[in-house]
Formats: sequence, structure tokens, C-alpha cells
Amino acid sequence: MLKKTLLLIFSVFSILLFSQESDSLIFLENQNPFLDFKLTGNDIPNDGGGGIQINWCFPDTLGNWFLTVLRRDDSNNVIVVATDLLVSSMQVRDVSSEEEPSRVKDNTNYYYTGILSKNMINEKFLNKLISNGSEYSKNGVYIFGNDTFYITGETEAIFSKSSWFNLSRIPVLVSLIIIAFVFLYYLNLAKSGKDLYIRKINGLDAVEEAVGRSTEMGKPIMYILGIGYVTDIPTIAGLTILGRVAKKVADYETRILVPSYDPVVMTTAQEVVKEAFTEAGRPDLYNKNDIMYITQDQFGYAAGVDGMMMREKPGAVFLQGLFFAESLILAETGHSIGAIQISGTTETAQLPFFVAACDYTLIGEEMMAASVYLQKEPMMLGSIAAEDLLKVFIMFLIIIGFVFSVLGYGLRIEIIKNLFDWLINLLQV
Amino acid sequence: MKFINFINNLDKRWIYLVLALCIIIPFIFPVGFPMKTTPPVKSIYDFIEDSIPEGGVVLIGADYDPSTMAELHPMAKVIAAHALSNNLRVLFVTLYPQGAGMAQDAIDNVLREWNKSNPDNPKELGKDITLLAYVPGVSAVVLKMGEDIIETFNEDGYGNKLSELEIMNGIKNYNDINLMVELAGSSVVLTWLIYANGRYGLKMGIGTTAVSAAEYYSYLQSKQAIGMLGGLKGAAEYEHLLDKKNVYGGRKDASIGMDAQSSAHIFFIILIILGNIAYFVKKKKEGK
Amino acid sequence: MAISTNFWVWIAALLTLAIYSFLYKDNPFYKFAEYLLVGISIGYGISVYWHNTIITKVFNPLVYDKNFLVLIPLVLGLLMFSRFFKNVAYLSRIPIAFVVGAGTGLSVPSSFEFLFKQIYATMPLKLDIGSLIIVVGVISTLVYFFFSLEHKGFVGKVSKAGITFIMVAFGAAFGYTIMARVSLFIGRIQFLLSDWLGIIK
Repeated sequence: MLKKTLLLIFSVFSILLFSQESDSLIFLENQNPFLDFKLTGNDIPNDGGGGIQINWCFPDTLGNWFLTVLRRDDSNNVIVVATDLLVSSMQVRDVSSEEEPSRVKDNTNYYYTGILSKNMINEKFLNKLISNGSEYSKNGVYIFGNDTFYITGETEAIFSKSSWFNLSRIPVLVSLIIIAFVFLYYLNLAKSGKDLYIRKINGLDAVEEAVGRSTEMGKPIMYILGIGYVTDIPTIAGLTILGRVAKKVADYETRILVPSYDPVVMTTAQEVVKEAFTEAGRPDLYNKNDIMYITQDQFGYAAGVDGMMMREKPGAVFLQGLFFAESLILAETGHSIGAIQISGTTETAQLPFFVAACDYTLIGEEMMAASVYLQKEPMMLGSIAAEDLLKVFIMFLIIIGFVFSVLGYGLRIEIIKNLFDWLINLLQV
Repeated sequence: MKFINFINNLDKRWIYLVLALCIIIPFIFPVGFPMKTTPPVKSIYDFIEDSIPEGGVVLIGADYDPSTMAELHPMAKVIAAHALSNNLRVLFVTLYPQGAGMAQDAIDNVLREWNKSNPDNPKELGKDITLLAYVPGVSAVVLKMGEDIIETFNEDGYGNKLSELEIMNGIKNYNDINLMVELAGSSVVLTWLIYANGRYGLKMGIGTTAVSAAEYYSYLQSKQAIGMLGGLKGAAEYEHLLDKKNVYGGRKDASIGMDAQSSAHIFFIILIILGNIAYFVKKKKEGK
Repeated sequence: MAISTNFWVWIAALLTLAIYSFLYKDNPFYKFAEYLLVGISIGYGISVYWHNTIITKVFNPLVYDKNFLVLIPLVLGLLMFSRFFKNVAYLSRIPIAFVVGAGTGLSVPSSFEFLFKQIYATMPLKLDIGSLIIVVGVISTLVYFFFSLEHKGFVGKVSKAGITFIMVAFGAAFGYTIMARVSLFIGRIQFLLSDWLGIIK
């Protein structure tokens, strides 16, 4: 009796065990509803090589299924490119990497296959499949445990290659050439002595007035370059205007303080002021320590400059450069000590504060134009004229776009609609 | 006239005092002004919620310091928590030395709160979330990341070798990052947009201080960024969205402050109206 | 919740109050906190640079990985110090030239792409009043920033419209900024009331 019972228990147990043994891979040939589904692939254009892009376009009903992409090379090494991509994501990139030599090599043939599944892929199944070598590529259906996996057809051989030029950026190159040409043309014009007109920037007279009045009161001048780096264009414009202001300062034999945020900007500012003083014939007045480093912490800098303003009480404060959240703190302190303030920045978010708290504000590009107006240097004059021409070009482009859009999409004129699309494509580098 | 003179000569310090009260009182006696979510916030939320597969990577740029922490820190926490709730990997990156401290605080906070409210799905530092070490160079760093992230940083912000961290599996460069949300109150946002989005096509969202929000709207229109969280309000909206999902128990820093924000705004509107009346009346008087 | 017993929370709270005391009037507590902030941010910056630049980017690659290419940027960096010696100060221009040159090279093409994207975004993809306002706004603002034309007559009128658009934009920015400033204040109040005093959750 006991023997029989044990036998029964054993057999039930083994049946259970057997049915638990779902690790076995069941392959159903010729039952694949996704037999015709294929991945497509191509070399990623305009890259440095080592990249293949794989695309697929399956029906929307499979949108939230998962896709695992496998890659095989000519010697039948199989590698998992990506697991459990959402089918709706439509593409994946197989990109080489220095750390993983198994990734894509240039000019080597690769074949891609996908595994479609309703649930996320089972790692054991994947390992099993890969260990079979290229066998998996048979179009078919695998049942593993409770999940069914559908293998898609294999792609043609795809290989990656590197490109010398990024052709998608040709519009950039073309515009660069046009702009360089326009710029050089105007530069030549300015150099040959042709008088290029530049309108007067409101508030520039104030520079002289501010320096003069400050000198009369026996107060120093403070020039704040903001928290930009020497690579930022507003900072560079600020440095040009600084040269002009420093020259005026030397003429009036007064003092200029330049608290700086960035060490490189500081050394450049020292250079600029020194040159301006020398040009004005007063190198003896130049004091390197008046152009000092404060800190590279935004609000630490603001606090430092504020404190300095309260102590030194400058008669004129110039805020020219790149400013962020500290702008109002600085401008308001300057206002409270009664200094004449001339500000300028390209940061649109900060301009309102300058407009509110300063006597004169150079809005955005006016700042650059002001530096040109002061110097009347052919190079700068040429660039302002060239810029204006380019603005016309941009306006023209926008107006054309607008007209095309009205005619193409509003009045549905097919050819213009195509032209508009072409224009948009061109701009999307 | 007496009133106009009073307004014109009012000591600023009274305004400070009233403003402080306007902010403190709603904290103690909350009113609960209604909250509406705006499309730029919703689109970042939806992207993380629906468009990133499990195991995907969200890069969060913590380029702020304690001075703008009030607005940006709640964003860092709530976005990281949202990403974790969808089983995504979260990488913090910073281009500012001070950002490292901020990011570490956000990570600590989110991990602690997450593991407290979800003991069945614990998250780990170095596996689900980490901070890339600070490396100086700003735009150079952003560009280098487009080539190789591990080589750019070598280490995480805690001194571990990146190549040995589980979280970095399969992450080579921007192609492996599903979304980057840059949190900053400065032009570093543009650095990311120009180099990472412009050159490498990294999908980006912006979280910025309200000061800069108006400026960055134009990058939404041009689709350079998929969405934006503007200031404390943006953070509060996001918290509101995540709150509906009911997966995360962390403190809702931004939402708590919204009542105070509204009452301060009402105070400012009154001040602006009074100030303008006083200004024009005075001008008229002087003109006569 | 009760008042905090964490020493550092107390330090942070007292420093916050010290800074806000400036609103009443300038005082030694404010000065102390201000100097502390400047000093600490420099100190913190140096320590971070030391570890993340000198150690991880120079010392480790050179000593452990024997990557001698690092010597090139190292020498360029060291040349910056030539400023301290008058007779070789000109050498510091080499690294500056390198930084400026490489920076320009990197930024010019990217800036173009950036500009393209903005032009593209200005083109109306759908026809509505919003797109029209954008087009008019962009063009009139561009006219305002015309420097080689006197702002008279038609150009003057368009540029007036331009500056109006600019001012409206400034107004919107201003509103946002007030919101931001209030938020910063709220952040601090939240810290004081919650983390420090424990009055609110």
C-alpha cells in the first residue's frame, strides 16, 4: 500500500515537474502570422561610421508589443542589439562602442532579425536562442513557458561606413559662405573709405556725461561685465565698450573698478583697460588691482559687487555684458546709491529690469552697434552693415514662408505647398 | 492727496513686512487655490509616462545652486521620482560645481522617500539612479557626452568608476538617453539646446526659473524642447500630475508654496495699481 | 513636528535670517553672512576643481594610465601662469587663443543650426491669428534692430511697432520674474517654518 502510494506521489510529482519544465523550447514552423514582417536597415548617413539604423513598420495593432532585435554576422555570431523595444517606437540604432568590440564594425555584413512578443522577453529564452547560433533565423514561432515569441524575417546584408562630410549640414555651409562673402564685401567697402551709415544709438551720449559727472563728484566708475565667459558675445561687446569707457576715464583722470566673475574675463579686461590707458597717454594711471576677481558663484558675485558699490559709491555704473538673475540686484543697488547707470545686455529676461532701474539701456544688439558707433572701425562697421543685410534676408525668408503657407495651406495650391515643405525641410538641419 | 503722498513716501520696509506676512500666513492657514496643468508641463510628464520603455534613461541636468534651489529643486525631485516610478534609470549631470551638492541632495531625498513608500520595489544608488561627477568645461562637456558619456566623466559623483556601475549598462552617448531635462536658471540651457539637441538630436525638456521662462518659450515653439517647467508653478503642476498616479509619498515642496505664491501675487497687483495711480496723479499735479 | 535639533539646520536658519536682516538695514550680521558666502563659494570651487580637474583629468591619466597626451592641455594651462612674469607674459596668449579659436569653431555652425530652427519656427505651419502675430512681431522687431537705416517714415513706424512688441515681451518677462522672486522667498520661508521651527509639515 505504502509502495503504491509512494509510486503515485512520485508519478504525480514527476508529471508536475515535467509540466513545470517549461524551459524547453517548442518550435512551430510555418505557423508564423508575422512571416512577412521584416526589419529594414541602413547605414546611418553622415556619421563617423560604426552605426546602423534599423527600422520597422508594423501594423498599429502591435503598437504595444515588444520587439527584441538580434544581429548576426557572416560567421554566425549572434548578438542582442536591443531588448523589449516598443513596436510603436519604429526604429533603433546599433552603434559601435570602444568598450564593446562586439558592436558594429565598418564594412562588415550584418543581418538583423526581430523577435515579436506580447510580454517582455524572457532572458533564458533569449540565451537559449542565441546559443543555437544562426538557427533562430528560421522564420517561426517559439513557445517558451507561457509566452509565445514570433521571429520576423531576416534583413538583407547591411554594412556601416563612415562619411567624410555631413551632407545634411550643407545648408549651414552654404549660409556660412554667403555670410562670409557679404561680410567681406562690406569690410572691403568700409576699408576703401566708403562711409557706411550707422544710426546713432540713443543713450550713447550718456557715456561721456556719466564719466564726466562722476569725475566732477570725485567718485570712481564701476564697470560690471556680468557673469559671462570670454566666449560669450555680449561679454566681448562689453569688453569693447569697456575699452572706450576706460579711455574716457583716463582722459578725465579718474578711477575705474571692474569686479569680475571669471578669471579669463578678468585678465582680458585688464588687458583692455591697460591698452585704453596707454592709448590715452596715461599708462601711469592704470592700476591692475582695480580690475579684480570676485567669485564664480552667481549670487556670491552679486553680493560681492553690491557690497563694493555700497562702500565705493561710484558715480557711474556700467552694466554691460551677460546678466542673469543677479541683474536687478545689481541695478537696484546702483540706483539706490544714486549713480548714473548705463546698462546693456542681450539677455531678454534681464532687460526689463535694466529698463526699469537704469538711466539708459542698450537692448540686445544695440549694445554691439553702440560699440561700433563708438569706434567706427571698418571691420566692425562692415559687420553691422552685413548683419543688416542678413536681417533683410531673414525677413524675406519669413515673409516668403508666410505667403507660401497662406497660398499652399490656406488656398491649397499644391505646387506652393510643396515649395513650402521643401523650404521647411531645408531649414531643419 | 494725503493718500498719494503716503504712497509716494512709503518706507519700503513696510512692503517687505506685508509681503512676508502674505507668504507666511497661507503656509499656516492654507486656502487651496485650484491648480491647472499647462501643456508644456504635461508634455514632459506624458513623454516620461508613455514614450520611454522600461529601463530607458532620463538625464537630469542639475545646473543650479542654493540661490535658485527653491524653484528648481522640487522639479529635480519630482521628475526623478516620476522616472523611478516607471522603472526608468535616472542620471543626474551638472556643469556647475555647486550643482553636485544639489543633485546629491535630490537623489538622497528621492531614494529615501521612494523606498519608504514603495518597499516592494526598492531603488538603489548606482543601479537605478546616480550623479555623474562634475567636470569643468561646460560646452566641451556637453559635446564630449555626445561621443562617450563614460569617458567624459570616468566617475560618478560619489567616486565610483562609471564603467563598473550597473546603471551605465548599454549607455554610450546621447543615442541611449531617452530624454534630458535641463534644470537651470541661466544660459546653460542654451548650451544644451545648441550642442546636445542641435548637434546630437538629444530630446530635451527644460525646467527653469520663472525669470527665464518667458525667454525659453520660443524653444518650445521651434520644438527644440518638448516641454517646460517654469518656476515653482511648473514644479507644482508636475507634482500635481504625479500625485494623481499615487506612487510617491515625498513632500510636495512646490504645491505647498502655491497658496503663498498666489497671495503674494494679489499683493503685488494691488501695489502696482496703487503705485501707478500715485505716479500719474503726482505727474499731473506737477504738470499744473 | 517640533523645532529642529539638527545643528546644521540651525546654522542655515540663522544665516538666512542674517541675510534677510539687510532688508531692515545694513548690519554686521549681514556682512558676516555675505563674506561667508563669497569665501565658501571660492573654497568649494577650488576643492571641486582640484578633485575633478587636477586629480581626475590630469594626475590620474598621467600617473596611472600613462596617457601622455594630457601633457598638451596641461602645458597650455600652465602657460596661463606666465602672466605673473612680465618678460614671458605674452605666452599666456597661446592658451587664450586656443580657447577662443576652438570655442568659435564649435559655436559658429551650431549657432547657424539654431538660427535655422528659429526661422523655421516662425513660419506659420497653421494659419491662425497667433501665427500672424508672431510673423508681424518678429519682422517689426528685426526692423527695430536695423542700424544702417535712420528710423524715419515707414521704417520708423515699423520699428515703433517693434519696440512695442519688445516692451510687451519685457512686461511678460517682468511678471514671470516677480513670480520667481516670490518663489525664492517662499523656499526660504518653507525652510524656516518647516525644517527649522517645525510649525508646518
